[in-house]
Amino acid sequence: MATVMLKDDNINVKAPIGTTMRKIAQATGASMEFGCRIGDCATCIATVEKGMEFLNPLTEKEQRTLSLIENADETMRLMCQCSVISEEGEIEISYLMI
Amino acid sequence: MRDEIVSIAENVHFIGAFDPMIRTFDIIMKTANGSSYNSYLVRGSEGVCVMDTVKKEFSDQFFSRLERLCDYSEIRYIVLHHLEPDHSGALIDLMERAPQAKLIISGRAVMMLKALLKRDIEFEAVNTGKKISLGDKTIEFLSTPFLHWPDTMSSYLHEDKILFSGDVFGSHYYDERLFDDQVGDFSYAFKYYYQHIMRPFKQFVLQALRLYNRFDITLIAPLHGPVLRTDPKRYIDKYADWSQDTRSSKNVVGKKLFSVFYMSSYDNTLAMAERIAKGADEVDGVIASMYDLASLEEQNMIDLLEESDAVIVGSPTINGDAVKPAWDLLACMPYLQSQGKIGATFGSYGWTGEAPEMLHDRMQWLKFRLPVSPLKIKLIPTEQELVECENFGREIAEVAMGKMMEMEI
Repeated sequence: MATVMLKDDNINVKAPIGTTMRKIAQATGASMEFGCRIGDCATCIATVEKGMEFLNPLTEKEQRTLSLIENADETMRLMCQCSVISEEGEIEISYLMI
Repeated sequence: MRDEIVSIAENVHFIGAFDPMIRTFDIIMKTANGSSYNSYLVRGSEGVCVMDTVKKEFSDQFFSRLERLCDYSEIRYIVLHHLEPDHSGALIDLMERAPQAKLIISGRAVMMLKALLKRDIEFEAVNTGKKISLGDKTIEFLSTPFLHWPDTMSSYLHEDKILFSGDVFGSHYYDERLFDDQVGDFSYAFKYYYQHIMRPFKQFVLQALRLYNRFDITLIAPLHGPVLRTDPKRYIDKYADWSQDTRSSKNVVGKKLFSVFYMSSYDNTLAMAERIAKGADEVDGVIASMYDLASLEEQNMIDLLEESDAVIVGSPTINGDAVKPAWDLLACMPYLQSQGKIGATFGSYGWTGEAPEMLHDRMQWLKFRLPVSPLKIKLIPTEQELVECENFGREIAEVAMGKMMEMEI
């Protein structure tokens, strides 16, 4: 299983392939905020500090929403659009507020 | 009096609506003398901007004021600082009357706008730093999310030094004299509004205040209640004060507060609570305290929950359920910010013992971090079981002190 570290919450969770970040947040009580949950509102924007390759590629909606945000860079993802796609690897996430 | 137009600065006017008869707002708030849905019109040398609308039922007041100040064809921008129906109720009507106007909302409002209007319309989504010009008036947008809707933003009118703060600094207080130096004493309503609407979002309040502090503000124009022009900084300072971590004044700086809430019929859940608190208290940096739910008033529950880094709830199981005061405790959480707080549940039981699991599930939905499984003990705990309680408390306290929480999904 891949390891997902939520740095702001001191949470280290092992998650099987296909696990969504929403599921991880709910199961762990992580403090990340979700808004619309479908990639439109950017409430759940976060920085993937490590292990981007172990997450699914950007969704079309995510690309569109991130393009509206000034100073968004390639380390930023919308957590509601992300899931684990690898059986192993370390993913490190820190939350952002915009 | 009801449809009078009031200028809050040169070419900046109040065009909102008064609602003196409303008594319950948003289900959770009482108001003893009504409220207002504030909206404003800014006229520049190159057009007009309308700041927010009103609750649908009050559209007539809004349009009556607006029509005496401008032609619909002059409106270049409509700004919605958030999309709650009490401020967007006249939006569709206004957009039909002023089809050339560009709607401006925050980035987070896009999805909500679609859900609200059920139609495709043109809009621009903005974030902090985006400016629009009306010729001799310039409006800058500030992203101030979660105050109290996710999509909330504020804006600043540079030339007149006016902060349009959205619901921030609002009051449910009706007085058509409008300005803070002319209305009656609304300080109770100002604080009550903060406590019920903004308190769950303290970290976002502080984030917004940091943005506001970049600007010289001579007047605050909120979306409810009086317009604040008498030393606006004192209102900002009140919000800053109420949003601070209060521990520095309680001599517990750097400590983690660990609250064990319990109810007990035959002292068994009490015995568990005592040993859980003891285990937690032995961890450096943790102060554990116990509170009997049978004797806690709701306001005290709210205050204690807010201060607690770890909320541990103990209940016996009666007829397959946790006891009502335990549910009442957790029902206070919507007034507060629960994300990041640590939670755990426990209880002694006679027959079935569902209460700790039920409370655990509820705390999960409330977004507590739950590092340990519920702890339940059948009837009178043995000494060995009480040692387990101490370990339970110690383990939770270590997570509160920063130990990495390891889980598997």
